[in-house]
Amino acid sequence: MKKRMTLLLSLLLITSWTLAGCASSSNEPQQGAGNTPVEETSKEPVEMLLRHTQVGADKQKRLAILQDVVDKVEGEVPNLTFTLDGVESDVNRKEKLRGEMAAGNPPDIFELFGSPDSKVYAKEGMLLDLTPILQELGIQDQFTSLEPFTYEGKVYGLPIGGSGEGFFYNKEYFEQKGWKAPTTMAELDNILAEIKADGKVPLASASKAGWVPLMLTNHLWSRYAGPEITAKFATGEAKWTDPGVVQGFAKHKEWVDKGYFKKGELGFEYAEYTTQFTSGEVVLMYDGTWKSSVFKEGQSGESLIGKVGFFNMPPVENGAGDQTSLMRDVNNGYGFSATVADDPQKLEAVKAFIKNFYNEDMQVRGLVEDGVLPAMKLDEKVLTDSITDDLMKEIVAVLNASKTSFPAFDALVQADVTTEISNLQIQKLIGGQTTPEKMAEELQKVQEEANASVE
Amino acid sequence: MNTSLRSPLIYTLFVMPALILFVMFFLYPIGSSLYYSLTSWNGVSAEPRFVGLSNYVKALTDERFWISTRNNGFFIGFSVLIQVPLIVLFSLLIANVKRLKGLYKTAVFLPSIMSTAVIGILWGFIYEPNIGLLNKILHVLGIDPIYWLSDNRFAMLSILVTNAWQWTGFYIVMVLAAILAIPRDLDEAAAIDGATAVQRAMRITLPLIRPIISVVIMLSIAGAMKAADIVIVMTKGGPAGSTEVLATYMIKYAITNFKYGYGNTIAVLIFALTLVLTAVYQLLVVRRSEKVEY
Repeated sequence: MKKRMTLLLSLLLITSWTLAGCASSSNEPQQGAGNTPVEETSKEPVEMLLRHTQVGADKQKRLAILQDVVDKVEGEVPNLTFTLDGVESDVNRKEKLRGEMAAGNPPDIFELFGSPDSKVYAKEGMLLDLTPILQELGIQDQFTSLEPFTYEGKVYGLPIGGSGEGFFYNKEYFEQKGWKAPTTMAELDNILAEIKADGKVPLASASKAGWVPLMLTNHLWSRYAGPEITAKFATGEAKWTDPGVVQGFAKHKEWVDKGYFKKGELGFEYAEYTTQFTSGEVVLMYDGTWKSSVFKEGQSGESLIGKVGFFNMPPVENGAGDQTSLMRDVNNGYGFSATVADDPQKLEAVKAFIKNFYNEDMQVRGLVEDGVLPAMKLDEKVLTDSITDDLMKEIVAVLNASKTSFPAFDALVQADVTTEISNLQIQKLIGGQTTPEKMAEELQKVQEEANASVE
Repeated sequence: MNTSLRSPLIYTLFVMPALILFVMFFLYPIGSSLYYSLTSWNGVSAEPRFVGLSNYVKALTDERFWISTRNNGFFIGFSVLIQVPLIVLFSLLIANVKRLKGLYKTAVFLPSIMSTAVIGILWGFIYEPNIGLLNKILHVLGIDPIYWLSDNRFAMLSILVTNAWQWTGFYIVMVLAAILAIPRDLDEAAAIDGATAVQRAMRITLPLIRPIISVVIMLSIAGAMKAADIVIVMTKGGPAGSTEVLATYMIKYAITNFKYGYGNTIAVLIFALTLVLTAVYQLLVVRRSEKVEY
């Protein structure tokens, strides 16, 4: 009997340990910072976890900027220590952060993707409402766009920097030919045809990942159908089958059919995109402004310093809307855990972090040292005075010359539609397995399903 | 002592640690996968919405799901019909070499210990359209270059060959161990009776290593059903979804899109398909084969 009792007690003990170990944290939605009753300030040391994605050699400058901000915040907030947790960008976005959100314990401060991620987390009450903090610091109107981080009128994240997209071109080659950057689509078409006739490849290509060719396609359909059209797909006000959109697809296909891209592009990785351009194999490369950092000393495009120019997608004949418009993206940013609102010290640290990270000095530093466009509205004189790099000057001039901008399509349509066009339709178009019309129909079908879906 | 050993509670206590681990790391994940597969859940929300079998209906009526399933079928077919005969052939050859047997074993086993990412990059160079080894050979033969990884007629085959190259050595070592375990006197007796090397291989060695070949086929089926890394590294499921397999379909069409309910549905379907395939193979082939004793 005694033995049995001992055994039963042992079993109970083991079971209770196991269950205690499996206990999960709460997933209750938290209050925003603005509604938090402030408790008595603790004098206890406080530790905060900061998740960033500045890992690897090419992100050292960005990491140094972050480290300086962290040092300033630690100096301003008594008893505060930051622990920096560097994780590869895709792993953070698609695995680690999602797991932490599901378990209800995200880091205090973390890198966050704007649309659609921030909206999903905000809806579940996992993110700190930054609206009152921005008002308190008086910077609520200082950002170029907070749209990707805004949910139901409240701001839940802040973009680190921005980027634009356009054509990088080999200036040396253009000068040899006596060409200037094209100002119309017809001029660009002639240039592409002449480069091809010259035995060179006109445009860089790497379409193993669909987002790379889609940068170009997105801009083409925005020229023919207007820059506002993409935002209307999810609301049902416009359709992918709009003639202008189809014309954009057709233009891309026309360039593929004319052999303006390297053969076998569906097998090339994004890294090869840059190599094709820096090796002189191709003359033009449609890419984001972040690529400018390659044409600096010690980087892979060092040999092209001073020999690279940048121009916007030229206007098209009978195109809709603003023909100077270009893609501006502010989708990478910082978010903050909603639980921060429960701890006055942590909340103070978040305010200090925002104040020290989001200011003119840091934005200019990001631009000069890392080639990342500011996410905040800066005085044009400050901007031009800070830039010494010719290519960056040219990029900024192009951005200033564009009257309007539009976000990339993946920030405007549902994830299912992004998957359909990135993984399937654009590759089918390039591979000659579909027509522009059929592609538009297929996309519209998925769009309508997504619009009707409640998931 | 004897009374203690007769007590079921003692046995329960001994079984408990393994049982707890089994429940925690096998039964619970499968159970939760089954539960979430019946819900619409974004992976973050505290309350998944019950949707019954609609995720299953969606998967089974999605053309891309079936393309992915077909591609997993190609993996199985290639393994069983091409890879396994080659494994047996190479094993027989290596078993009969007199010198440098260790070198051969090491050489064939080497790809299995390399990471898939490295193998993907290595073979990426071989398949490279302009400077790759394969197209260089084709050029010498006067044949136009083939875009191995970007042409949907060749992309799947390219992955299958790479995958076979990676795992063949691993299975050769297993089959080789079985061949070398066969008593030499059986082979010698057959040789004295006048059997040729081919006859000895076909009539003596092969029947005796049938159980290990069955194991190799089973492992190949299971491995083929969970293939993902090699596809991600080499083609990302492209061009235009032509090399998508069930695991990459799950990542692209569910996990990336915050559709964890649907993702769990695909996971359950992969599990069920693997279970059915291995069960069918067990019932039709393994159970019917004779037991080998020597």
